[in-house]
Amino acid sequence: MNAVPIDEPIRDRIVAVIARQVNLEPAALHPEATLKSLGIASLDAIELIFDLEEHFDITFPEDSADFNTDTVQHLIDAVEQALANRPGETGAAA
Amino acid sequence: MNPQRRRVAITGMGAVSPYGEGADPLWQGLRDGIGAIGPLRHPASAQVRIKMAAQVPESFDPSCQFAENVLPLLDRTSQFALLAAREAITQAGLDFTANDLGRRTAVVIGTGVGGEGTRDEQSRRIYAEGSVRMHPLTIVRMMPNAPACQISMAYGLRGPAFGVVGACASSNHALAQAALLIRAGLADVAIAGGTEACFTLSGLRAWEAMRVLSDETCRPFSSNRRGLVLGEGAGVFVLEAMEHAQARGAVTLAELAGVGMTADAGDIAAPDPAGAAAAMAQALEDADLSAADVDYINAHGTGTRANDPSETQAIHRAFGGHARKLMVSSTKSMHGHALGASGALELIAVLGALREDTVPPTANLDEADPACDLDYVPNTARKKHVRAALSNSFAFGGLNAVLALKRA
Repeated sequence: MNAVPIDEPIRDRIVAVIARQVNLEPAALHPEATLKSLGIASLDAIELIFDLEEHFDITFPEDSADFNTDTVQHLIDAVEQALANRPGETGAAA
Repeated sequence: MNPQRRRVAITGMGAVSPYGEGADPLWQGLRDGIGAIGPLRHPASAQVRIKMAAQVPESFDPSCQFAENVLPLLDRTSQFALLAAREAITQAGLDFTANDLGRRTAVVIGTGVGGEGTRDEQSRRIYAEGSVRMHPLTIVRMMPNAPACQISMAYGLRGPAFGVVGACASSNHALAQAALLIRAGLADVAIAGGTEACFTLSGLRAWEAMRVLSDETCRPFSSNRRGLVLGEGAGVFVLEAMEHAQARGAVTLAELAGVGMTADAGDIAAPDPAGAAAAMAQALEDADLSAADVDYINAHGTGTRANDPSETQAIHRAFGGHARKLMVSSTKSMHGHALGASGALELIAVLGALREDTVPPTANLDEADPACDLDYVPNTARKKHVRAALSNSFAFGGLNAVLALKRA
């Protein structure tokens, strides 16, 4: 994905949004945990996408997530990719 | 089945669809496997992610169809429903003034959201343009019962009349209610079906946010499916007590022999095969059909990741060993998903299959999916005898409504 080193605050903000959705402490969200294992399915999933899009003012591609197999890390990568692709952005998200 | 129960005949059909005005163009398009999905036509089409849609052709001009004093009362949903009703009533050859038949005639029309175009247009005045006043006919145009009321008023039909909402199962719910009114003796004739017209910017955005829309075409039961394609239109039918139809020598297109309605009582969006299977089993029982009597199912078949395997499992559950002998097709691959009108458009396909012994195909099915292992009649219609058929409609909210049809 993104070659630029991960900006920790951004990652923390993404984890915070996910943690709020699944009602867990951010520290409890391991990057390798699948969204399915966190109980995120169906409407929770599209709500989470909406929350992330609103929070970061980004738009995910239509087929950006498969909630059966994706992990927290997938979602972090996807947000960073979307931030990098935002018009006017030159690299990783600030 | 109670042997004393009244049987219900279908003696007229009408449609407005992405194939234009008329049930015949719709049926002929489906039978020939010709899709009506094309680029989205909308003033905001450049802004939205949806690129494809199944819309009523641009040539549709309500000002040619309705009197100048009536048109301001009609949201697009009512326009579609009135035109489809006109066609169905003409075909049935009914005179509602004779023997005061209008008093014994019901109107039941389903819709997912009702007058969405009116709501959107008038909201824009208030929120975007800062206007302080709305059009005085806003309420009577947008109420979800408006299409039923307009049909009732146009023909002097004074029996039970109301709208039915059940999201994407609205049409089948409406047709079921109409059949039950006739069976119960509360009406001899019912004008029933569904209508939808919700290509508004807010509607498109709301569907986008659900993440169930295809960014290309609609490919039900194909492993490369990418979601549903929104559609619009109306289908309206004349239902009639069989003895009433026979007494006046009417042509019966098919018998609406049974209905099944269930709720999953689970997830608001994710389908549960148990609920769908129960609705199919109920429709069979209500129609006094055994699984082996059925040759064709017009599937709900939206082309979403969730629906198609779930519906396949439900058909296995309801039909057991006969499931693999059934022909199952999704005509949404061609006319799109007209939401509250979809069951009515699909009933045109079922009536065509029963009358011409020709099963319309599932278009765009080019990659097998191991989770979808039935005979979906891929891409080309099949000439085969059809004795009885089911038409499935499932909806957000976990609502399932299934119609069972027998050939006339």
